Amino acid sequence: MIPFEHSGPVITARLQSFEAELLGDLAGQLIVLLGDRTGVEPGGDPEQAATAALLAQLGIGGSESAPLDPALARLLPDAYRNDDAASTEHRRLTELGLVDRKIANANIVVATVATDPVELDEQSAQSWLRTLTDLRLTLAARLHIEEDGDDGTGDQAMLDVYDWLGYLQGTLLDEIERMKGDHEL
Amino acid sequence: MPIPTLERDTFLETAELPDTPWVTIVWNDPVNLQSYVSYVFRSYFGHPRPEAERLMLLVHNEGRAVVASGGREEMERHVEAMHDFGLWATLAKDES
Repeated sequence: MIPFEHSGPVITARLQSFEAELLGDLAGQLIVLLGDRTGVEPGGDPEQAATAALLAQLGIGGSESAPLDPALARLLPDAYRNDDAASTEHRRLTELGLVDRKIANANIVVATVATDPVELDEQSAQSWLRTLTDLRLTLAARLHIEEDGDDGTGDQAMLDVYDWLGYLQGTLLDEIERMKGDHEL
Repeated sequence: MPIPTLERDTFLETAELPDTPWVTIVWNDPVNLQSYVSYVFRSYFGHPRPEAERLMLLVHNEGRAVVASGGREEMERHVEAMHDFGLWATLAKDES
């Protein structure tokens, strides 16, 4: 059964309860992973946390070096291919904003997937699309899927989750396209 | 103007002229679905479907495609937007 179906401007997701729980867990783990880049420790200095939050709201501030974790490096890539100085400057100005938006999208997934039925308006459907992408990029890094044709190495359960997330994203996108098609008629 | 005979990877070193065009490049990756990449090109850049499909296939087959050109700041915004979507994008001075 196709997991997504739209009626008017709302897409309903039909997920088994274990699927909804898994997706919520994964989005939660993504938030923790990205949270590492904000430099704010949970339960840390509240003043530092407030400053970081303000900078993120303004879309500025961020680390000067690319993440060492390959998953984070793929989620937050360098903006210049052969210019470290320009990449560093761009990262310093934009990374916190990017991280903040990715976390906000994942938070929307966590919130919406916990409801029954799962109903997505246009904006939350966009958050789902982006978070499903970020989750697949993260798992691909863990599974060493680096080039076209790589099957991935590692845990079979993780490979199955990776494929399932691709199926979810593909079918959600199809439904968004169908909804847009209705609108254009 | 003399034609620079620089290696492909060193063109970033050239002096920056005020009206030098910049380009946004999207690179192939093994993760993003073709339908999603095409959707991003349509929904973000406003390309009609045939142009979005052409660019998507360029990315897939050639490993990269120039998807926009213009001022540097505008290209930086495009790159940031592509990273929002999870596409792998960079900007560079136009080498053509």
